Amino acid sequence: MIQQRNNIRLFEGVDRVAILLYLLLVLAGLTCVASAGYEDSIEGFFNLRQNHVKQALWACAAFVVGLFILLLDSRYYHMYAYYAYFGALLFTAGTIIAPEAIAPITKGAKAWYEIGPVRIQPAEFAKIATALAVARMMSNYSFNIHKTNDLWRVAMIILLPFAIILLQNDTGSGVVLCSFIFVLYREGLNKWLCIPLIMVATLFIFSFLFTPLVLLIVLVLIFTISNAMMMGGEWRRHLIFTAGIALSALVLYALSAIFWGGALSGYEALVITVIGGVIIAGIYAIRKHITAIFLTLALFIGSMIFVPAADMIFESVLQPHQKERILSFLGIINDPAGIDFNVNQSKIAIGSGGLFGKGFMQGTQSKYFVPEKHTDFIFCTAGEEWGFVGSMVVLALLCAMILRLMKMGERQQEPFSRIYCYSVAAIFLFHVMVNLGMTVGLMPVMGIPLPFMSYGGSSMIAFTILLFIAIRLDASPSKGMDALR
Amino acid sequence: MAENDAYTRRTILRFIVLLIFGVIACRIGYIQLIDTRYKSMAAGNVLNYEVQYAPRGEVVDRRGEFLVQSMECYDLMVIYRDLPKEGFDTTRLCNILSLSRERLERELRNARAYPRAPRLIIDYVAKEAKLRFEEHNFQGFYTVQRTARQYPRKIGGNLLGNLGEVSENDIKRGEGEYKKGDYIGKSGLERAYESYLRGDDGVKILERDRHGAIKGSYMDGMYDTLPVPGQRITSTIDARLQAFAEELMEGKMGAVVAIEPSTGEILVMASSPTFDPDAMVGRQRGNNYMDMLYDPQTPMFNRAVQARYPPGSTFKLVQGLIGLQEGTLTPENAYPCNGGYHWGNVKMGCHAHASPLDLRNAVAQSCNAYFCYVFRNIIENRKFANVKEGLDRWVEYVHSFGFGRKLGSDFLDEQEGYVPTSERYDRVYRGSWNGHTVLSLSIGQGELGCTPLQMANLAAIVANRGYYYIPHIVKAIEGQDSLDRRFYEKQYTMVDAKHFEPIVEGMWRGVNVPGAGTSSRAYLPGWDVCGKTGTAQNPIGRDHSTFLSFAPKDNPRIAISVYVEHGGFGATTALPIASLLEELYLTDTITRPELVKQVKSLPYALPSRYIRKNDSAKK
Repeated sequence: MIQQRNNIRLFEGVDRVAILLYLLLVLAGLTCVASAGYEDSIEGFFNLRQNHVKQALWACAAFVVGLFILLLDSRYYHMYAYYAYFGALLFTAGTIIAPEAIAPITKGAKAWYEIGPVRIQPAEFAKIATALAVARMMSNYSFNIHKTNDLWRVAMIILLPFAIILLQNDTGSGVVLCSFIFVLYREGLNKWLCIPLIMVATLFIFSFLFTPLVLLIVLVLIFTISNAMMMGGEWRRHLIFTAGIALSALVLYALSAIFWGGALSGYEALVITVIGGVIIAGIYAIRKHITAIFLTLALFIGSMIFVPAADMIFESVLQPHQKERILSFLGIINDPAGIDFNVNQSKIAIGSGGLFGKGFMQGTQSKYFVPEKHTDFIFCTAGEEWGFVGSMVVLALLCAMILRLMKMGERQQEPFSRIYCYSVAAIFLFHVMVNLGMTVGLMPVMGIPLPFMSYGGSSMIAFTILLFIAIRLDASPSKGMDALR
Repeated sequence: MAENDAYTRRTILRFIVLLIFGVIACRIGYIQLIDTRYKSMAAGNVLNYEVQYAPRGEVVDRRGEFLVQSMECYDLMVIYRDLPKEGFDTTRLCNILSLSRERLERELRNARAYPRAPRLIIDYVAKEAKLRFEEHNFQGFYTVQRTARQYPRKIGGNLLGNLGEVSENDIKRGEGEYKKGDYIGKSGLERAYESYLRGDDGVKILERDRHGAIKGSYMDGMYDTLPVPGQRITSTIDARLQAFAEELMEGKMGAVVAIEPSTGEILVMASSPTFDPDAMVGRQRGNNYMDMLYDPQTPMFNRAVQARYPPGSTFKLVQGLIGLQEGTLTPENAYPCNGGYHWGNVKMGCHAHASPLDLRNAVAQSCNAYFCYVFRNIIENRKFANVKEGLDRWVEYVHSFGFGRKLGSDFLDEQEGYVPTSERYDRVYRGSWNGHTVLSLSIGQGELGCTPLQMANLAAIVANRGYYYIPHIVKAIEGQDSLDRRFYEKQYTMVDAKHFEPIVEGMWRGVNVPGAGTSSRAYLPGWDVCGKTGTAQNPIGRDHSTFLSFAPKDNPRIAISVYVEHGGFGATTALPIASLLEELYLTDTITRPELVKQVKSLPYALPSRYIRKNDSAKK
């Protein structure tokens, strides 16, 4: 009788949309793995040694774990958040100390336990525990995000697993924890703290990907637009300002080409006009007493200094082996042939898909030319076999899942549940952004899986747990939580 | 947090999510729908990554003469999918490449399993055959240029070592340095200096059209990399001397090692029987390899650095030096010898010579009894609590001469040899042993085992009066200022320089004073050769013959050790070989052709275990 009552209570409030999205994504992932990871040398489509069969088993296991989570009382997550956190930290740190027999070094990282045929990546579970711990800490009644002390404590909770994962030499998984800035912002973190943090991170990564000229143009555009938004319109004046800079840069470049035999490069011409533009904007701001412009200018100058500084430190101060270490620290993997082989092949595979794709099991590019085709580069197969239409469907599913999680967070009455839902959304968003970004050549290559789609047992189970805890918390509004207070 | 603020933030976050997805969607759309470059690249099935193999570094001897050269050759590859559907002229292909039809069919069957992958059909295709192959345009087949090793003088098989295809283990250990089909140094110098000799392979990226034919270079070769050839290595070996040593050792088993004492550079390192290094290159490599593996004379066993020989009487030098340093012996000490050493029922025989002798003459005459006394006095010294302690001290000295341990040369195959310790005797004799039990050590017999390299090093130590440089086979590497530091540091023994004079004097007398010693045949007028013979007993067959020598006495230029298994007396076989090599090195001429002839025609009989039985040869 009791069992039955529980069941009714459990499945009543469950968010069916989220479950449906989850199942569709897993199915899409399985199809891609079946196509990309199919081993010609192994006989039979349903042979247990085939990747997709293994992955299907993992998915079943993950779903069972998910059901088990739905069966558990929701207040346990609040109650045991810290225990789970410290447990996961110890488990993760264990790989560093553990002997190589059970924690072998793979691709330079000591981040896996390998017991028999089973490989576990504890960092995946550390993410879940960190999300729980952050939610618990920030949902505390006395917690105030504007107090420096409280902020430090949250930062510690996020930075501790970050440090441990960095020590494992598994930078990709560590960087994921940066996504918590998303949650902190939602909970009211001062935006002037958020913006520079994001700026520095993006600039550092992008300064390696783009030439200085492109970077400068992008910067000017971004800052003009954001300044216009902050000042509430005045689009015309900003447009004139940007056009003025562009025009004078062109004129300067042309003049130098005609009179001084091309003494100035395009980049130098633009730098000179931008400096002029900054001075003019500054004088304008002083005259009219507009503080917003000052803030924008300060940020702009800051990033202008930061980019060459990062570059200069990188190029001249560091030794070659240190450079390599930093590049691999950033997760920017340099392939020995000196060609952007992975990304190039990945782009070719996606590009060859066209509008409607080649059809299931018809993709040749991703199967034969893309490395890590069934793990990190799984999206290639989707792009090649299902074309633009299919890619957009997959993209829509992922986007819907993240927006759904945010919506679930918004409708919570308990801060704990809201913050947790947002954490999950943020982690998914980061994974999707970096994974798809590298697949289409917008981001440096980092070994980060695509949620629910990439081959791999650890990540499949970890993402499922992450999602189902959110669903569980969402399904039981405020029940049990009051009992804890 | 105000409700309004929360609403703004929620909206902004939602906007950010949509923005990120929007950017990615635009990018995907651009790649898939607008930019046709990727599609065309994929349509013709894209890029062909062709490895440009780097030519391996060459090796020259100390005078610049080539020991190892790189020769152009080709691998014939096939991509099964590209073979013409209607078949092709297999007979012509087989004829051009002198390939059997069965082999071609077998390889094609293998290639069918992976139709898209390039697959090796046959390697070591000569340049002429490759040119003829290209005249006929066999669709689906292509050649890849590689380099093969070639040995102009056909010497130094074990010394130079050989190449083989990388094993799974090599690939794993190399961490991405090696790929399947690469060659790697498997032994000798090739293995020790692999990282310098190897060079870096390049890659050439070719674009193919939709029919699979090569269209040209991808992006005008923007991403191509050129192969970087391996570095040239100048060996310390003297090719002329090495060839002569191998010639003299032919048909005998043993090893010759010569070192330049003032630098530690190895001039000769010959192990006999040896093999033609060219036999380890090319299509017959596997057969030749197996053949040698089953040869009872073990030609691939590098005796010069791996064998464990009893040093025999040459070890008396070490005994004398230790005695002098310990103070238990003075050069003037004289001991009687009545046809040997007698003590109770212990007896150690000796040949007939004048008696008693002092140290110098005992070295020259190689008196066994004398060194029995010397050895006993060292280890039974009253200052030690027991013999065990004395022997331990003695072992320390012997180690400092480079015995019983690796010398640290650049030869990775180097072995330790063996010097017995008191623990070993405790175990064997259950603790009850004394100076008489281990007496055979005094004349370099018993448990003692030394490599010819260690013995040559002993000659260098005596020549230098107390120190050596770690022996090495590489003199210079192209593009490197210097070798490893350890090759420039003097390694001192525990014996002071002043104690070497009487020993050197004894070695000099043995050669230069007629009738005073055992080595008089090594006399070279005007060169002050110093030498020490050795005749090591062994349980199977004739005695081993060995000779240790350096010349000239002052400012020595060469130190040499010759070891001939079952060669009889030291003066019979080993001595003339060493003497001839010294003569060639010091004077650039051979004035005693009759001696060369004599060495080559020495009666020499190996124990039956080294004789290959006919039936095993067939297998």
